Amino acid sequence: MRKPRGAPAISLLMAVLALAYIYPLILVAINSLKTFAQIMENVMAFPSQLRWENFANAFTLMRYPNLFLNTLIVTCMGTAGVVLLASLAGFKLSRTKTRISWLIFLLCVAPMMIPFHSFMIALVKVAKTLHLTNSIWGLGVVYWGLGVPLSLFMYHGFAKTVPTELDDCAAIDGARPLRAFFQVTFPLLQPVTVSVIVINAMWMWNDFLLPLLILSGSKKSQTLQLAAYNFFGLYKIEWQNAMAGVLLTVMPAIIFYLILQRHIIKGMVAGAVKG
Amino acid sequence: MTPGRRRARRARWLEFLWMTAPAVIVILLFVEIPFVMSVTYSFTKWNGLNRAVRFIGLANYKELLTNDPSFVSAMIFTLLFAVLTVAAINVFALLLAVILDMKIRGKNVLRAAFYIPNIISLIVIGYVWRFIFSRGFDSLGSLTHLGIFQLSWLGDTHLTFVSVVLVSVWQSIGFYMVIYIAGLQTVPRELVEAAVIDGTRPVSRFFRVTLPLIMPSVTVAVFYSVSNALKTFDVIFSLTFGGPGTATTSIALDIYKTAFSDDRFGYGSAKSVILFLLILVVTVTQLNAFKRREVQA
Repeated sequence: MRKPRGAPAISLLMAVLALAYIYPLILVAINSLKTFAQIMENVMAFPSQLRWENFANAFTLMRYPNLFLNTLIVTCMGTAGVVLLASLAGFKLSRTKTRISWLIFLLCVAPMMIPFHSFMIALVKVAKTLHLTNSIWGLGVVYWGLGVPLSLFMYHGFAKTVPTELDDCAAIDGARPLRAFFQVTFPLLQPVTVSVIVINAMWMWNDFLLPLLILSGSKKSQTLQLAAYNFFGLYKIEWQNAMAGVLLTVMPAIIFYLILQRHIIKGMVAGAVKG
Repeated sequence: MTPGRRRARRARWLEFLWMTAPAVIVILLFVEIPFVMSVTYSFTKWNGLNRAVRFIGLANYKELLTNDPSFVSAMIFTLLFAVLTVAAINVFALLLAVILDMKIRGKNVLRAAFYIPNIISLIVIGYVWRFIFSRGFDSLGSLTHLGIFQLSWLGDTHLTFVSVVLVSVWQSIGFYMVIYIAGLQTVPRELVEAAVIDGTRPVSRFFRVTLPLIMPSVTVAVFYSVSNALKTFDVIFSLTFGGPGTATTSIALDIYKTAFSDDRFGYGSAKSVILFLLILVVTVTQLNAFKRREVQA
């Protein structure tokens, strides 16, 4: 194939463009290390000396450790539940070739066509009735219902590519169904499991509206995004603390992304294309 | 049937039940029952607290179609917003994908840079841009003396619309770029090389060879961008909260305000049903129209 002409020029042009693209985020980083007076004077100037105490301020004002833990609990609990329920049901529905099984499958994936905003009002009512509001654990449980449909769909599709002979082997060995599933089948579903974890974890970590609806009555149980919103509202004028707060809020997701970059990209594409 | 056979059948049925029931239960509880409830509430007058739920037939629907300027303006905003963001997102994302699919240096770092806004929560994105539009543009304005930095990007009705579109597009391009890159990688090299040998110019090569082959990716990307645009909420919540006035209030935000600020749960539910129908009709039409244009390599 012909060597692309002007490749270095395009590369350079794209680098400049990319830098301009993330410049707003660079500005956030720069200003998180300035004094308030410096921010008001010139946003683009680099800080004359680095004020790390902005981060200490944001850390304590936001009650960051508490929020981090809450969000981690919701994300882990939500994601684990989705993986478990969706893999079990997706696999079983894919293996059972009856009309009932097909109908249940349709029932399980229909929610993919129902936008969250069209049932959120009644969802709050249901969550209240079940005493799931104002609790981190309750929020995690609600995520199961919202996350399972797409994930189940992905497991269902992938299970078709897993040879059925292996299920039979496990059955002949006399393994109990539960053990057979976790020892034989579940490891074979691993490529989907990675995508499912990535999609659900990124969504639950960054989600705002559901926590807002479910946790609104409680000051103690808040997630990072929810508290970030309230924090920015309160400290509107104190930009330096707010910018440090922004970085503290987005850091976990960015680190997660940088470590698992390849899996995340693959997972997001898989979720989009199969969904 | 022998008792042994019957027992085996029962065991198989039980296994099916315990493997599928948990998923079915959570889906019913947290999506499907609430959805059916929303449809039911949409025919009632209810404030969310009272036990008294009064059936009022189609009165909510009549009100929102004939006597609710805020819903009509939310509808117009959302549709305009969707048209502009979908067009901008897909054009720029596809352009970026084509460039970053070429053999250029540092393309992985470049892809990551464009993808990063997508991993930050929308609520924080909105706040970051509030800072950029106010403090950042102040500094840029006094530095460059350019008029565009001295405008009121979050104060003026029309400009705020542009700001919301700009921020939404900026946040989501990376995601669609990745979908298009995945699509471009499925294009068989021989076909592109054959076109090169035939002497087709790059631009017409793209429109005649590449684009038809990546139509499945276009279908998916347009589908997601349309449905996300029609549901837009978070960015607006933190960037403008629907203002100034109701200039940037989307349907989703309008539903939220109706139900949780005005305590009109029945009326809010009617609006939710309209949103559901709108998204359903638009996306099904889009999928049908686009699927027809997909070709095999």
